[in-house]
Amino acid sequence: MSEPAVDVSGLDNTWDDPTQRAPLILGGHDLASVTDAIAGIVERPQPPKAWWIAFSIASLGTITLFAMVAYLLWVGIGVWGVMIPVGWGFAIVNFVFWVGIGHAGTLISAILFLLRQKWRTSINRFAEAMTIFAVVCAGLFPAIHVGRAWFAYWLFPIPNQMRMWPNFRSPLLWDVFAVSTYATVSLLFWYMGMIPDLATLRDRARTKLRQIVYGVLALGWRASNRHWHRFEMAYLLLAALATPLVLSVHSVVSFDFAVAILPGWHSTLFPPYFVAGAIFSGFAMVLTVIIPARQYFGLKEVITIRHLENMAKILLATGLMVAISYATEFFMAWYSGNPFESFALLNRALGPYAWAFAIMITCNVIVPQVFWFRSMRRNLWVLWIGSILVNVGMWFERFVIVVSSLSRDFLPSSWGYYKPTAVDLLTLAGSFGLFFTLFLLFLRFLPMVGIAEVKSVMPQAHLDLGEHAGQGDYHGEISYQHVYPYVEKEEDDS
Amino acid sequence: MSSMSQTTSGPRYWRSLDDLAQTPEFQEMVGREFPGEIWESIPPATRRQFLKVMGASIALAGLTACRWPAEEIVPFAHRPKGSDPGVPKQYATVMELGGAAQGLLVTSYDGRPIKVEGNPNHPDSLGAASAFAQAAILGIYDPDRSRSLVHRQQGQEFAKTWADFKAFAAEHFATYQKRRGRGLAVLAEPSSSPTLARLRARLLEAFPEAVWAEHTPCANTSEPEGVARLFGRRLRPVLHLDRARVVACFAADPIYDHPSALRHARGYAQARRPEAGEQMMRLYAAEPTYSLTGGIADERVAVAPSALPALILALVRELTSVHGLSLDGVDAATLSRAVPPAGSERFVRLLARDLAANRGRALLVAGAGAAAEVHVLVQALNAALGCVGTTVDYIADPDAESPAPESIAGLTRSLRAGQVSTLIILGGNPVYDAPADLGLAKLLDGVPTSIHLSGYKDETSRRCTWHVPAAHFLEAWGDARSWDGTLSVAQPLIEPLYDGRSAIELVATILGDDLANGYDLVRATMRGMAPAGAGFEQLWHDSLNNGVVAETASEPVRTSPRPAAVGAAIAAAAAPPAQAGQTGLELQLVPDRKVYDGRFANSGWLQELPDPITKVTWDNALLLSVADAGRLGVKTDDLVRVEAAGAHVELPAYVLPGQADGVATVSLGYGREAAGVVGDSVGANTYRLRTTAAPHVVMGARLTPTGRQHKLACTQDHHAIDAVGFEARVHRLPELVRETTLDSYLADPEVIQHEAHHAPLFSLWKERTYEGDQWGMAIDLNSCIGCNACVIACQAENNIPVVGREQVINGREMQWIRVDRYFRGEPETASMSFQPVPCMQCEDAPCEEVCPVAATQHTADGLNAMVYNRCVGTRYCSNNCPYKVRRFNFFNYHEHVSGVQKMMYNPDVTVRSRGVMEKCTYCIQRIEEARITAKKEGRPIRNGEIVTACQQTCPSQAIVFGNLNDSESEVAKLRENNRAYAMLAELNVRPRTHYLARLRNPGGPAAAENKETA
Amino acid sequence: MSTEIPSTGENDVAATPFGLLAEFETVEALVRAAERVRDEGYTRWDSYAPFAVHGLDEAMGLDRTGLPRIVFLAGLTGCIFGLVLQWWTNGVNYPFVISGKPLFGLPVAIPIAFEMTILFAAFGALLGMLGLNGLPRLHHPLFKSERFRRATTDRFFIAIEASDPIFDAQDTRRLLEDVGSVAVEEVEA
Repeated sequence: MSEPAVDVSGLDNTWDDPTQRAPLILGGHDLASVTDAIAGIVERPQPPKAWWIAFSIASLGTITLFAMVAYLLWVGIGVWGVMIPVGWGFAIVNFVFWVGIGHAGTLISAILFLLRQKWRTSINRFAEAMTIFAVVCAGLFPAIHVGRAWFAYWLFPIPNQMRMWPNFRSPLLWDVFAVSTYATVSLLFWYMGMIPDLATLRDRARTKLRQIVYGVLALGWRASNRHWHRFEMAYLLLAALATPLVLSVHSVVSFDFAVAILPGWHSTLFPPYFVAGAIFSGFAMVLTVIIPARQYFGLKEVITIRHLENMAKILLATGLMVAISYATEFFMAWYSGNPFESFALLNRALGPYAWAFAIMITCNVIVPQVFWFRSMRRNLWVLWIGSILVNVGMWFERFVIVVSSLSRDFLPSSWGYYKPTAVDLLTLAGSFGLFFTLFLLFLRFLPMVGIAEVKSVMPQAHLDLGEHAGQGDYHGEISYQHVYPYVEKEEDDS
Repeated sequence: MSSMSQTTSGPRYWRSLDDLAQTPEFQEMVGREFPGEIWESIPPATRRQFLKVMGASIALAGLTACRWPAEEIVPFAHRPKGSDPGVPKQYATVMELGGAAQGLLVTSYDGRPIKVEGNPNHPDSLGAASAFAQAAILGIYDPDRSRSLVHRQQGQEFAKTWADFKAFAAEHFATYQKRRGRGLAVLAEPSSSPTLARLRARLLEAFPEAVWAEHTPCANTSEPEGVARLFGRRLRPVLHLDRARVVACFAADPIYDHPSALRHARGYAQARRPEAGEQMMRLYAAEPTYSLTGGIADERVAVAPSALPALILALVRELTSVHGLSLDGVDAATLSRAVPPAGSERFVRLLARDLAANRGRALLVAGAGAAAEVHVLVQALNAALGCVGTTVDYIADPDAESPAPESIAGLTRSLRAGQVSTLIILGGNPVYDAPADLGLAKLLDGVPTSIHLSGYKDETSRRCTWHVPAAHFLEAWGDARSWDGTLSVAQPLIEPLYDGRSAIELVATILGDDLANGYDLVRATMRGMAPAGAGFEQLWHDSLNNGVVAETASEPVRTSPRPAAVGAAIAAAAAPPAQAGQTGLELQLVPDRKVYDGRFANSGWLQELPDPITKVTWDNALLLSVADAGRLGVKTDDLVRVEAAGAHVELPAYVLPGQADGVATVSLGYGREAAGVVGDSVGANTYRLRTTAAPHVVMGARLTPTGRQHKLACTQDHHAIDAVGFEARVHRLPELVRETTLDSYLADPEVIQHEAHHAPLFSLWKERTYEGDQWGMAIDLNSCIGCNACVIACQAENNIPVVGREQVINGREMQWIRVDRYFRGEPETASMSFQPVPCMQCEDAPCEEVCPVAATQHTADGLNAMVYNRCVGTRYCSNNCPYKVRRFNFFNYHEHVSGVQKMMYNPDVTVRSRGVMEKCTYCIQRIEEARITAKKEGRPIRNGEIVTACQQTCPSQAIVFGNLNDSESEVAKLRENNRAYAMLAELNVRPRTHYLARLRNPGGPAAAENKETA
Repeated sequence: MSTEIPSTGENDVAATPFGLLAEFETVEALVRAAERVRDEGYTRWDSYAPFAVHGLDEAMGLDRTGLPRIVFLAGLTGCIFGLVLQWWTNGVNYPFVISGKPLFGLPVAIPIAFEMTILFAAFGALLGMLGLNGLPRLHHPLFKSERFRRATTDRFFIAIEASDPIFDAQDTRRLLEDVGSVAVEEVEA
């Protein structure tokens, strides 16, 4: 591991002294060394042993996933636990879960970007990658959960021999568009942000192969400032587009439920509720993944405690939003006076699925409260385990919403109890395998931190502007909005 | 991963794989490439006939290719004549069950029978058909049916041909002719067939010393006995529920478990229509366990069988002492000691009052479970109340003149004595269903020559030296009488698939007739009975055409009860019940509502048909009262060891509200060992607990929990209910299944409309108007008896698959129409409500808007259509269906349907593949057929021209279908009825199916509030 | 301060070079140099940095890019496409009755119209950017320079193309040398 030797004591940038802005990059890096630190990981001939162990486990999961899907397609949906009345089970739960995970990436990249949150630069690439892979996992489930997966393409408006079009009044179709758009835009965003770094890798390449591969991927980027200028603008615009997109995607996903007439689904609260939950779970997943990653790839100076702490704060905030949503649901159920509605919620908390509800509340409402305490926010173990618990909780939130509502709807005669089969469980496990496989490949072959972006927030990146020294900067600030003192000076002379 | 493994084997869905894996059938299937495929296992001859049968180009191929080339059978007149291929025709025939005929119309499609319906001309059908009769379609194509004769010698089996058998029979029975038939015995099922009676006479004439015995396990033997005692003659009561204003049933189920059940159900419904303006019938039921009659009774009391006599006595006393009814032969002294069983005082008081107030319009019925003396008193009261000739007629038992057959007990006596050297068993399965104490199986091994005629190589066949395949009733000529004596000719719909013969043909063969075929035999009988001179051919033609032989119903006989018999009965009833004071419960053995006496055990449709009361499929359960279950500490699904009559059986318990305390009820017909792939080792064989002495009720049964469990596959209440769900159910029920009392309805006819209130409904968009034919349905909960006939009708009409026990447990049953059953009131006195639920065809159907591929959309005539080949199977529609009437093909349930079985499919209905959603569409194929016909004839579709399958077969005509835009149509009128309501109307989905609220007619101030239980 | 470096210029005067490349060590130097080059009136030149340097745009006197217009038009197209697609397919080409609802309703159409807007606009942004930048272009004279490889790591460059009207091998080299470059080299075309 090419980890620059620096004493860990110097790794604290978590003070809160307003007179002095904390540096975002530690360890006394300069432009070259930070490049080495990040690009070095990719250029290293052999990844650390930990990577190999993780990768073999993950790919085992992936194989399981494909085996289960093959079996499902061969035999039929019956291999799952779904039944009447519970027509949707793990597949849809997993779908919503993964889409939720997929929100943090674009959110960090876009929203924090627009909000001028400089600290994002260290983690956004990472989070964006996570988004892509989570959406890949998510996208899988709607495709395989249909009874005749080989006809799933009928959901797209493709001219066909039936001379027939899909039903645009169905929320499921909105979903198709929302998720595929989200996947595409996230991919564009991710790739575009990576072009300069790919160029860096190209220029550092030692082997012909790497040079060609990265060269092609970099599209011949040559760091021209005229290019940078448009790049900045494009990035800003993409960010501006992605932000409402992020919010829309989970809103649309929530329509799948909110638009139905099923008590426990039919609720106007769902869009904001789902978005908050998505951000919540998304950040949790970033933490879950980034903590070990920075540990093993020596990026402690780039992804600092401060970054983690900030994310912990966001967990706390979004966790509270989710908690309020839960409370609101119950209040509305009672306040609406609709007997079906109030029963749905009562049944959710006290019915056959009370156990799932309990897990959900514990993980999503109680656990995040520890992040009120700075010591907890800075304790990596607490942070890591906490984030995992939040992921668990958010999965169960979806389970509770989907299953408990379906299992008992209007006619008591058709109530039922859904039990997942082994195939359900293995498929879920397998989806994690796929996620981590893709992720580990990303860590191995692509710069996990936006090198160019990180550089731009380093002191070296800046004109010496006296009291502003070392504040770092960020993309998106269209520079002609600013007047630099020395420019004025020039004008004075002339 | 059970659901995974099921999909690997052939008929995987029949039973758990473990069970299946042990059976030889399974091993065999595994060997074969296509499990269930039967080609290679059929003798070439039959195979050729198959081709004829399935050659769709020749109409009636099955018949033109018959062994009887000259014959002609006549299409039902209501259908167009001519034999255009692809045009289904209906033929009239009859099915005999328990010695009485049920008239049927069988739809034949290019020579293949595909649907059984009732024959409107037949007195005991009136157009309806029981679930058993309708399931015959599945039965005839059952690949497990016996396909060849078998001769067993020294435990080895040899396949034989009919020629072999003829040869054998000729010389074998010649020897008996010399011996005047000594050592020859026949064991037949009771039959109303004149031809068989004629042949029996001839046989006994040819073999004077031969024994003719009859046996069927589920016959009502106590009624004939009681009636005989009372009137001194073998008579048969014919009931007219439609004329009765008060009906009292004692452990009887006249609307379901009776040869005339369908007619009774119709009569019940007619007497319950408040619109008719007459006084509405009031139904009383005193019974140990819930029967369908009990389920719809206005006043019901749960009494143990042993308490029944006391109840009757108390009733007689009340009537005579309080209401001054004069009943000859009554011994006042004995009577004065009569006290009604605990809890039945109110029942007796009210019943007596109503009976006295409705002389001549009352009717008392007792069931098979009731002792003979109860029957005596019941009929005596009918007579005393002046009901003979109005609500009940007595007709002479059709074969009263022929000598009474020997009982199976008598036969086994002579078997034990070694007096029988040749036993001919004409149908039935005595080894399985004879009383256990007879030990028939053992005795049979001692008989040198035993010949068993049977549709399957069943338990009995396996112990006989000869097995002879029987023809299915849809394959053979025959004749039978309905309960009221009306004669019908049974005509075959198809040539025997497996070269089987009917009972009459076998007997004729034994008698050495050269023309031993049913056609000639039946015609000969008819000729004998035909009025002299009258054109026989015309009579024959009309009889086949109408399904009944005109004017053959028996005339009521004038008769009067014998006081002595009444006195004796009262004395007997007053005597302390048998084995009084014995510990343990009374174990009631009843015929099963799915497989009857076990003969239908191999029918997937019936096995999967939810029991109307318990909703259990694929099993027989031990029904216990709430109190007894508590005492034993068992819950539903707990395995209980039942010890009685020196034998023991393990059964899963089912706690049933309204079950009498101290009584455990089990149904017969399960635990078969040689039924076939479907029926083998499903449930437990309760015949082991049955003795000649106590065929219906075994006293002193000991129940002990085993601590193990056996999950019952229920289609309702899949799992135990918790407090939250229970409360919700209690609150919802009154609005979902609306009912009120007759009095409150008469006081305020709009009372139903006030039972539910919801916010005004308005739409976000302009609601569309529906022009032209707009189909709708109305279901009268006041008529529905919950008999399940509609469920099977729908299954047969729409090619609905059977999914098997595991899948039912997983909540994946496929029936498109279900009958929801709810209990109300306290567990002990719970009353029951039935509600058939098909697709409601909502105008603003919530299922449609969520389908991404528009696989379910609205048709111009207002149907919520399902486009199977467009469906990708998101199951979103089902999630969004508030009535949960959509069904999903989780597997390819037709994958392993064998070649023969495929012949039963209705060609007008798509067979859905896996991954596709399906549901009721008001039998759209029938609508389209009518539309096409109307179009060809250039006229609008006539009112009532379209009849859905469920509506067609409903015995009580509770289901009405028609055009809502036609003010003349019955459905439009019913919509306007003040009992009409839409379920879940507050959702504003505007269902096209409406319900008519049920009216209860309690005898007095009802104690039971509308609270729902268990 | 400028260190003397072996100039490769002499031996290939014949070949028309691509231009001159000057290397700088700091952002500071780069920006100051850029201002000078700008004021000298050069037009066909560019500066290179491993990241977006702020103030450099004014320093080079670049005007605002037209990318936003492209993106706006793309988004507009997407929105219209989304609406027309839904109206035509469900309302005109193959209408079916669904839950008794109107064949086309604006509220129902909004989610998909929105997603289409975003999708088209996003493509507009990326492709627009690449298009205006003349990318992908895998070969460029500058890639011949060993030194230039550090442009994506930690060095800053200014390149003035020979095709610039006021380009003069000597003057331009002198200019680049005394604007604080650490090295100046000629890059062949």
